[in-house]
Amino acid sequence: MSIEVKNLCYSYKRGTPFEKKVLHEISMSVEDGEFLGLIGPTQAGKTTLAQHFNALMLPQSGKVLIDNCNTCLKNADLPGLRQKVGYVFQNPDYQLFAPTVGEDIAFGPKNQGLSGSEVENRVIEAMAQVGLDYETFRNRDIYALSGGQKRRAAVAGVLACHPRILILDDITAGLDPRGREEILEVVKKLHQQSMITIIFISNSMETVARLVNRLVVMNKGRIVMDGSTRDIFIRSDKLLEIGLEIPDIMHIANRLRERGFDLPPTLLTITETANSITDCLAKRQVSD
Amino acid sequence: MELTKNITLGVYMPGNTVIHRLDPRTKLVSACLLIVLLLIIKSYQAYALFFIFMAAIILISQIPIGYALRGLKPMLPVLVLMWFFQLFLYSNPNANTLFSWWIFTATDAGVHMGNLISMRVLFLFVVTTTLTLTTTMVDLTDGMDSLLKPLGRIGLPSHELVMTMVIALRFVLILAEELDKIVKAQMARGVAFDQGNFIQKTRKLFPVFLPLFINAFKRAEELIVAMEARSYAGSKGRTKMKTLHMSRVDFFATGFILIFTALVVLFILHFPTMIR
Repeated sequence: MSIEVKNLCYSYKRGTPFEKKVLHEISMSVEDGEFLGLIGPTQAGKTTLAQHFNALMLPQSGKVLIDNCNTCLKNADLPGLRQKVGYVFQNPDYQLFAPTVGEDIAFGPKNQGLSGSEVENRVIEAMAQVGLDYETFRNRDIYALSGGQKRRAAVAGVLACHPRILILDDITAGLDPRGREEILEVVKKLHQQSMITIIFISNSMETVARLVNRLVVMNKGRIVMDGSTRDIFIRSDKLLEIGLEIPDIMHIANRLRERGFDLPPTLLTITETANSITDCLAKRQVSD
Repeated sequence: MELTKNITLGVYMPGNTVIHRLDPRTKLVSACLLIVLLLIIKSYQAYALFFIFMAAIILISQIPIGYALRGLKPMLPVLVLMWFFQLFLYSNPNANTLFSWWIFTATDAGVHMGNLISMRVLFLFVVTTTLTLTTTMVDLTDGMDSLLKPLGRIGLPSHELVMTMVIALRFVLILAEELDKIVKAQMARGVAFDQGNFIQKTRKLFPVFLPLFINAFKRAEELIVAMEARSYAGSKGRTKMKTLHMSRVDFFATGFILIFTALVVLFILHFPTMIR
């Protein structure tokens, strides 16, 4: 299942004096099975674009094809499309509303008209996928969850709908390092095990660097870069220019290059960089 | 799906016209006076005069008319309903029957009454919207605060009342934005809000209101903490960075409003009512 966006434009409060154009002529596509990072500084239009991916927003001009179905058409089955493209929101408080975790996760499958036992199976499966113990958390009060647990419950609520594409809107925001690691681990496993297409929205380069295969960089409502994660990070000056941070390890590599270390330009992770540095040092010793 | 697009209540439209620069007290008193006039006007002629006056004010203040009227959209069904209610329920002894069907009887007096009530609501909306579109929230608060101050002597906590009202007004927009997000989160999990019969549609709203209320309480609590963190303690010992002062324009404006009021009163005396 793929998503295709052509010349998409969108303005908030259109037709009022407060009109604000947030998407300018966006064209891109998401292929089946991809693990895509959508990054950009705040106000870049990431969320607005992503909400077009599952027909929560409809194009004002241009078009969006989800699974070859044009969302602008009058007879498009929008609720059906939204089931196929799951969307986890930035703030779990907007999404979780049932009294208990179990009931909240069951909400989506129930809307699909599944029977009681099928719904129960979906809940068990989704909770296992995000690493929430079924027996412990099934009857837990939503408001008694920690930030990280809330995020995982929100992801489970969407996974229980069995989406074929999963959009994760900045789900690490406001979490402590441990909560962040846990949820990232969940996301990584999801992509490896179920080969589901994932669109991961974030403004933290550190997070996406070691997660996704392809990056789409947005700034001020436009796509400024689109390519494999390594290709994007090679142009780190451009990223810094639009106000994005690059991972600390890349700063260290850049500093070392300035001092004459011959490091390859495609280093992303700590392990890779460490290996390259030791190689360099070994070479130096040999030449000495 | 953009709820906030249609809310013009409490929105300020930046501008630099005479109307924008007027002292908020002048604007508040004028608006009150206009509202009182609206409640006693009962003839088409007086309404015509009122219409010309409001049109002039809106032109001077450079408010985009289309935007100002957008806020009316959600009110329209209520207005229409009210018109029909008046049409069928109002009658007086010397009214002429227009038509009658089953238990419904429409008279010309009913038509006039319907028009009167609709125009009243419409103009009330126009007057208040014009006020809020041309006055910042801070100015409005200061103005009300200053106008209600004399009531403090009889024990009315004017500042606190005004503060409460302003916060309530602010929350209209905030809650609309939250509602927008919650509705989207539910739609993303397969709720089709526009499908089903009336009862089904209503039932779908319950999961929306729960997080809305909880978030509203949370926000209120955060607001309290934020206010206390900045040592807010009500009106006691509170001073203002910007003090209000009346300028020449305000005196002209007041004079202008008074002349208009006199004119309207003359009209009212001359054309007492459209319902005979």
